[in-house]
Amino acid sequence: MEGAFTVNGKNKKFTFTSDERLLFTLRENGYTDVKNGCQEGECGACLILLDNKPVNSCQVLTASAIGKNIKTVKGIGDLHSPHIIQRAFVETGAVQCGFCTPGMIIASYALLRDNPDPSEKEIKNGLDGNLCRCTGYMKIIEAVKLAAERLGNGVVE
Amino acid sequence: MKEINWNYPKTLADAAKLVQQENVVPHGGGTGLLLRNLSGIDGLIELSQLPLRYINVTNGIIEIGSMNTYAEVVSVLMKVDPEHILVKSLRNSANTPLRNRITIGGSIAMFPPWSDLVGTLLALDADVMLIGKNDGQFPVEEYINDKDVRDKSLITAVKFNLSKWRSYHYRDIRTKSDYPAFNITILLKQIMNKIEDSRVIIVGTVKKYSRLTIIEEYLINRDIGKINIEEIEKLVEVKFAGKRIEDPEYSNHLASIELGRGIEQILRGH
Repeated sequence: MEGAFTVNGKNKKFTFTSDERLLFTLRENGYTDVKNGCQEGECGACLILLDNKPVNSCQVLTASAIGKNIKTVKGIGDLHSPHIIQRAFVETGAVQCGFCTPGMIIASYALLRDNPDPSEKEIKNGLDGNLCRCTGYMKIIEAVKLAAERLGNGVVE
Repeated sequence: MKEINWNYPKTLADAAKLVQQENVVPHGGGTGLLLRNLSGIDGLIELSQLPLRYINVTNGIIEIGSMNTYAEVVSVLMKVDPEHILVKSLRNSANTPLRNRITIGGSIAMFPPWSDLVGTLLALDADVMLIGKNDGQFPVEEYINDKDVRDKSLITAVKFNLSKWRSYHYRDIRTKSDYPAFNITILLKQIMNKIEDSRVIIVGTVKKYSRLTIIEEYLINRDIGKINIEEIEKLVEVKFAGKRIEDPEYSNHLASIELGRGIEQILRGH
């Protein structure tokens, strides 16, 4: 099959099989910032924004994404131009092995966009689809709090 | 793996024709479909371009388009009635990214044994709106029990009365993101010191769900001061399959305690 959708602001045509999951289409086309974790929608490593909503790309059939807008973690910010949320993760030590980080950043971005001043409980709820096996979560929560403080009530974009 | 033919209808009339073809299945969020083997499917109907993402409240009846996700339903119902049983049951279901993907229609059509939605809809006496081979409005209970009603039909919406119930929802989970082994929905209506109406549903039993009419009958017309939680707990006798929890007898014990707690919480606020 062939179909076009927009990834990080660029509309592109992709080739994929009819039962292919978006996670694999993205990774096979160079978007390896989308991590392949559990493939069951449990770990959040493959999180992307699909039409602005955080979803597990392993749970999306690629053919259903035709015409839609996708943002991966590199669409939020990269090494040369990191987003405030990404800087906050680095500064608080919220990154260890880094495997869960793209998903954590996407989830934090979606949370702070909808709720600029979340309580700790709201942060935990917002990140409830993301697993981390290194940090024990405390530093991740600190990072989201720091990013929220720096962003103020400003636009997350 | 053979190719699956994807269809992208733009009208409900086109979708109604497609759903009547052999081995052609609707695709909403896709999370339920991905749990099953796709190899027996010849075609999929992508529903996202259809006008099925809406929530209307008219004359006390709420109609929820089948393509609304759990997250969307919670977000809208929070504004209408933050204590609504669907808010309680869906806001903790799965996790944030999955709640952005799981649709109401798909959840009813698939009705997995861990469903947080269907028990609540059964308690609310909800109806589904169908198009395709069967066109019209059908009780959710009939839809899930009658293969002929489900056959070659597409759910376009779910409808129920927005009447005021006092409610409780319990999910039996070991970790927050776990699939519930079972879940309990309790609805009570109270007039003065008496229970006027009650609904008690457990999902995850041998027959997928059980309506505990024995408890409902115990509660209806009874003085609140004369409701004995221990008596209620003794009345609970539900058969569990024991696939996800080792001992069905233990599950029944847990369910009876949680049911008692739920009724206690609704009646006495603790």
